[in-house]
Amino acid sequence: MSAAVKERSREEYKAQEERLRTVWANPTGWRYWTSVNNFQIGLWYGSAAFAFMLFAGALALLMRLQLAVPDNDFLSAEFFNQAFTLHGTVMMFLFAVPIFEAVAIFLLPPMLGAREMPFPRLGAFSFWSFFLGGIFVCGSIFFNAAPSTGWFMYPPLATDKEFSGIGADIWLLGLSFIEVASIAAAVELIVGIMKCRAPGMRINLMPLFAWYLLIVAGMILFAFPPLIAGDLLFEMERMFDWPFFDAARGGDPLLWQHLFWIFGHPEVYIIFLPAIALMAMIVPTFSQRPIVGYSWIVLAAVGTGFLSFGLWVHHMFATGLPQISLAFFSAASEAVAIPTGVQIFVFIATMLAGRVIFSTPMLFGAGGLAIFVIGGLTGVMVALAPFDWQAHDTYFVVAHLHYVLIGGMLFPVVAGLYYYYPLIDAKQLSDRLGRLAFWLMFCGFNIAFFPMHLSGLRGMPRRVFTYPTEIGWDWLNLISTAGAFIFAAGVLVVVLDVLRPKHRQPRGELNPWNAGTLEWISEPEENWGVRSIPIVRSRYPLWDQKDLARKVNEGRYYLPDAEEGWREGLVTSVLDAEPIQVLRVGGTSYVTIVSALSLGAAFIALTFHWWIATALAAIICFCAVIYWLWTGTGEIPEKPEKNVGLGLSLPLYASGPDSVGWWAMFITMVGDGTAFASLVFGYFFYWTIHADFTAGIAGPDAVWSLVAAILFAAAWGLMVAARTFNRRGATAAMRGLLVLSLLTTVGASAAGLAGPWSPGMEPTRHVYPAIVWILVLWVLAHGAVGTVMQAYCLARSLAGRLTPKHDMDLGNVVLYWHFLLVTAVITFTIIGLFPAAM
Amino acid sequence: MRLIPKQIETLWTLFTAPVVWAAHFLVCYLGAAIYCAKPELVGLSFSAVRAGIAAATVIALSLIALSAWLAWRQWGFGTDDPPHDDPTRRDRTLFQGFATLLLSGLSFIAVIFTAMPALFLTECIR
Amino acid sequence: MGQYFSLSAASFLLASGYAGARSVLEPAGEEAQQIAVLFWVMLSGGALIWLGVVGLLLHSALFNRRRLAEKSASRIILWGGVVFPSVTLCALLAYALWLMPGLRPFAQASSAALRIEVTGRQFWWEVVYHPSQGPPVASANEIRLPVGERVELTLKSADVIHSFWIPPLGGKMDMIPGRINRLSLKATKPGVFRGPCAEYCGTSHALMAFSAVAMEPEAFRSWLAAQAIPAPSAGASGSALFLRHGCGSCHFVAGTDARGTIGPDLSHLGSRVTVGAGILPNTEDAVARFIARPELIKPGSSMPAFDMLPPGDVRAIAAWLRGLQ
Repeated sequence: MSAAVKERSREEYKAQEERLRTVWANPTGWRYWTSVNNFQIGLWYGSAAFAFMLFAGALALLMRLQLAVPDNDFLSAEFFNQAFTLHGTVMMFLFAVPIFEAVAIFLLPPMLGAREMPFPRLGAFSFWSFFLGGIFVCGSIFFNAAPSTGWFMYPPLATDKEFSGIGADIWLLGLSFIEVASIAAAVELIVGIMKCRAPGMRINLMPLFAWYLLIVAGMILFAFPPLIAGDLLFEMERMFDWPFFDAARGGDPLLWQHLFWIFGHPEVYIIFLPAIALMAMIVPTFSQRPIVGYSWIVLAAVGTGFLSFGLWVHHMFATGLPQISLAFFSAASEAVAIPTGVQIFVFIATMLAGRVIFSTPMLFGAGGLAIFVIGGLTGVMVALAPFDWQAHDTYFVVAHLHYVLIGGMLFPVVAGLYYYYPLIDAKQLSDRLGRLAFWLMFCGFNIAFFPMHLSGLRGMPRRVFTYPTEIGWDWLNLISTAGAFIFAAGVLVVVLDVLRPKHRQPRGELNPWNAGTLEWISEPEENWGVRSIPIVRSRYPLWDQKDLARKVNEGRYYLPDAEEGWREGLVTSVLDAEPIQVLRVGGTSYVTIVSALSLGAAFIALTFHWWIATALAAIICFCAVIYWLWTGTGEIPEKPEKNVGLGLSLPLYASGPDSVGWWAMFITMVGDGTAFASLVFGYFFYWTIHADFTAGIAGPDAVWSLVAAILFAAAWGLMVAARTFNRRGATAAMRGLLVLSLLTTVGASAAGLAGPWSPGMEPTRHVYPAIVWILVLWVLAHGAVGTVMQAYCLARSLAGRLTPKHDMDLGNVVLYWHFLLVTAVITFTIIGLFPAAM
Repeated sequence: MRLIPKQIETLWTLFTAPVVWAAHFLVCYLGAAIYCAKPELVGLSFSAVRAGIAAATVIALSLIALSAWLAWRQWGFGTDDPPHDDPTRRDRTLFQGFATLLLSGLSFIAVIFTAMPALFLTECIR
Repeated sequence: MGQYFSLSAASFLLASGYAGARSVLEPAGEEAQQIAVLFWVMLSGGALIWLGVVGLLLHSALFNRRRLAEKSASRIILWGGVVFPSVTLCALLAYALWLMPGLRPFAQASSAALRIEVTGRQFWWEVVYHPSQGPPVASANEIRLPVGERVELTLKSADVIHSFWIPPLGGKMDMIPGRINRLSLKATKPGVFRGPCAEYCGTSHALMAFSAVAMEPEAFRSWLAAQAIPAPSAGASGSALFLRHGCGSCHFVAGTDARGTIGPDLSHLGSRVTVGAGILPNTEDAVARFIARPELIKPGSSMPAFDMLPPGDVRAIAAWLRGLQ
């Protein structure tokens, strides 16, 4: 090679790099906040979650001060009740779940050798929703308006306005909003992990963190929707007096408990598994060998994911359900300990098979496991119904859950912070401060929480703002308070270590721990994730593929350039990660903030019953989302294929199951279907608890209901036909069918409405009309969204953005209609025919 | 027609056994709950419920055993030990087989756990 | 000083009130006894497992100097992570399931000689005794039961969810609006126990408790017989003041014109171990202070304050109520 050629290629390389850098660059100034890059979003997400954690921790310290001595009057009963409600709520919804979403958004793209998550704007939307909702919920306590009915919000205490004020609405609406954000994150994670891994990263080579996150995102999809359905029923009762939980009108407080804990227990594992996932990255690095029992970890993650859905009634052991029911849940709660044990033994086995460097992250990890095992063992105890009858709702459970969550989640997260901090600014946290923090936290934690086992067994119930002296709780509580402050001092040391200025500290190595996974080649200064997308041939590519880092950074692999000025990544196949498409993702945009803030405004206005503001905000949000979809999705590329390097040419457009959009729709609709299933569960729940669940009220007209079901089916059929005609190039026919289907949907909705309308069912009178109405409204709302989608496709077609070859929009809408068909047919058959059949 | 399906190339087979566990769990729980709430609806005794649980358990265990056998076959009947970390389609298949086998084992145990209440409880008790 | 100052002095006296066991681990009832054994079994097993796991963890992290082969390491996962827990948990589950039918034998309980109906209210307990013979006997904030006899409890709620629990006697059971839950208890030792409300029920959840008194059967029967008839009233002025100031529109006192049903039945207040739903000693002073400023002692209580009355009147009412033995 001549010197001139070499010189030219170096220049070309520089130009490539510059183009890539420009495309991925963050906006500057205040526009920085419109960034959608996964590093920024992950960092903001994580920092916000940590800040919320500190806030909730401060509330806990106030509570501990109040409980330090008997008959204390440091806090009023009212404030204490708000404090413990917010403490639980914030720790669960604003710290534990979001922190893992943050870590995942930050880490997954570089770990999978991808440039970005598949839907960066969705990630930004999720963050802003979370942030706004969090501020709203937390801020309420400064106006003495915080929820005060416990993070579990049991009706009738939380539904009846006589017992609970606006705090309950703030909880419901603020958190519904955050739940939406979580589901958005789950969609992003699942698609990202299944479809956006680096070429060659087959599922047997995927980093364990990704395996865990895949399972956890799947769990979110099935765990959060029941809560959203519950929130819907709850808010309908609070706002419009529909008696879902009012026993006097046929409702039942226990339905809420079912829906809440169907969410609530998997939630514990949704929190715990990602933390263990961090351990699964840390332990091999410091054992300096690949993990032993990769498949066992997959077994444990999947097994826990499933079993965790069979545990919810163990929160309801004292509600008087038949003992045979309790026994099933005791059994599953015992079984879930097996996969949990497997994970611990995988770590032990890996350490035994390697030589361990006992660093600060390992210290936090090991300390966390020692704590967690105690929590696990007490968990096995309280999982047995008889023992739980004694321990339930006492400080024994408070101790148990903190041992599980702090040992199983907070310690590993801090371990992860010490481990991954160099990825943020190429500097390490202090080892000395880290060890100091560990010992303060470890000792403080045990001093605070171990005595609670005993105070619980001595009869101290949870959620008491004070207690009398001389019944054996005094010194136990005093010790707990002292421990809580030592623990807090440890957390403070961590915070100081993170915040202390580090500009004098020299830039560290890129991979200071000599780790084996891909995230350690990403340079904190660059936004592109990886300079070029590598071909992966190992579980620990940095250990096994010797010159991988160099070749990646020299742009020798895929997509080293951004000649068309797009942010691009690769889509690969699920099992073997063969490259199949170039994915162009959305860049910096205001639309995410506008839609998140307007959606938030709608929820907040709803809390205060400001109907006009609600409507306005909802309209803004609707327009923003439509604008977002119109300008940012389903773009028809300027050429069908693109050369991605290494002699490979890939299509720039995909529709149907090949496209990531289709998967996102599918996953969203699975979550949606779960929420619907929860409502149907509610219908049959009321049937089981009453001898005659209709209470003699005339049900919806069977004929109208069947007509609605048939018309919805017809609308669905027309949609499928529209897609087929479009593919054949019959554009005019497709447009006609879309219009026809839209009209049919309107007719179907009218028929659906006529069902409960014609016999004059009043939803406030009894729970039977209320549950029928909510099911009908659910279908009608979905029908309305369906018509918007039809109109959208029509507009896209007229604007030339939907063509016979580029039919991603239509494909996704038809997928939506598959789910709508099932929803409508099930609803109208049940409400129309079931009462007569019984 | 083959009695045992050929190897299927999909991620979803991994979840067969846990899905069977979930179905079995739901059948047991819902069946018992409905019986205890509306005994007059079925008109049978609690022993019938226990028999039903036993039947569901046998079916679930057989399905899981089948899934385990398929997984074992996919793993080459245990001829190739983990870690299955070569960048080949073969190792990916072996990994899937082994992981599915492990999950079948866990689900098998979990189904037995779920069925145990029916051994000890002879009425709804509420 | 603070609003709960009153409680400190009171609690001290209370110590003598709760004479019996107060812990789950000092069982005085059949169910609690069996659960305590279960607990000790689990605790000893759990302690051993914890020592084993953490020992192994520390050994592998700090002292292990020879690298184990992958195959042997996998065997550790199989035996330690799967086989051992499966067998142990299976045995433990069988033990607990075997316990369950015997712990709360409702079939026998329906033929129990005594049924007590307890209704939870924010933040007190309405109690009605239904002996197999004789008329029902109403009371509040105190449960008495005969030692050695099985008692059936019918648990209800009038407002929000509460939970009924007497730690030394047995596990808890929720009181849920619209549902009727049953519990069956058998005390084995006499004593006075504290029963706290165990489900968060609002502002003064912490201040909702009752005293549970397990008595020898003979003593119990004569006590119940005494409760069934109006208490001999002493201090006619207190009685008159009670009625004049409208107390009778919320409270019931047998043998008088006080026929209210909103607040606790006060017919035999003087005979109770505690007042104010398990939070104050039964002294004239405590009763008087409660009447004057209930919201200071129990925030969120629905009883209005009577501090506009002359202190002497409040005293007289308190003295009369204390006299209702």
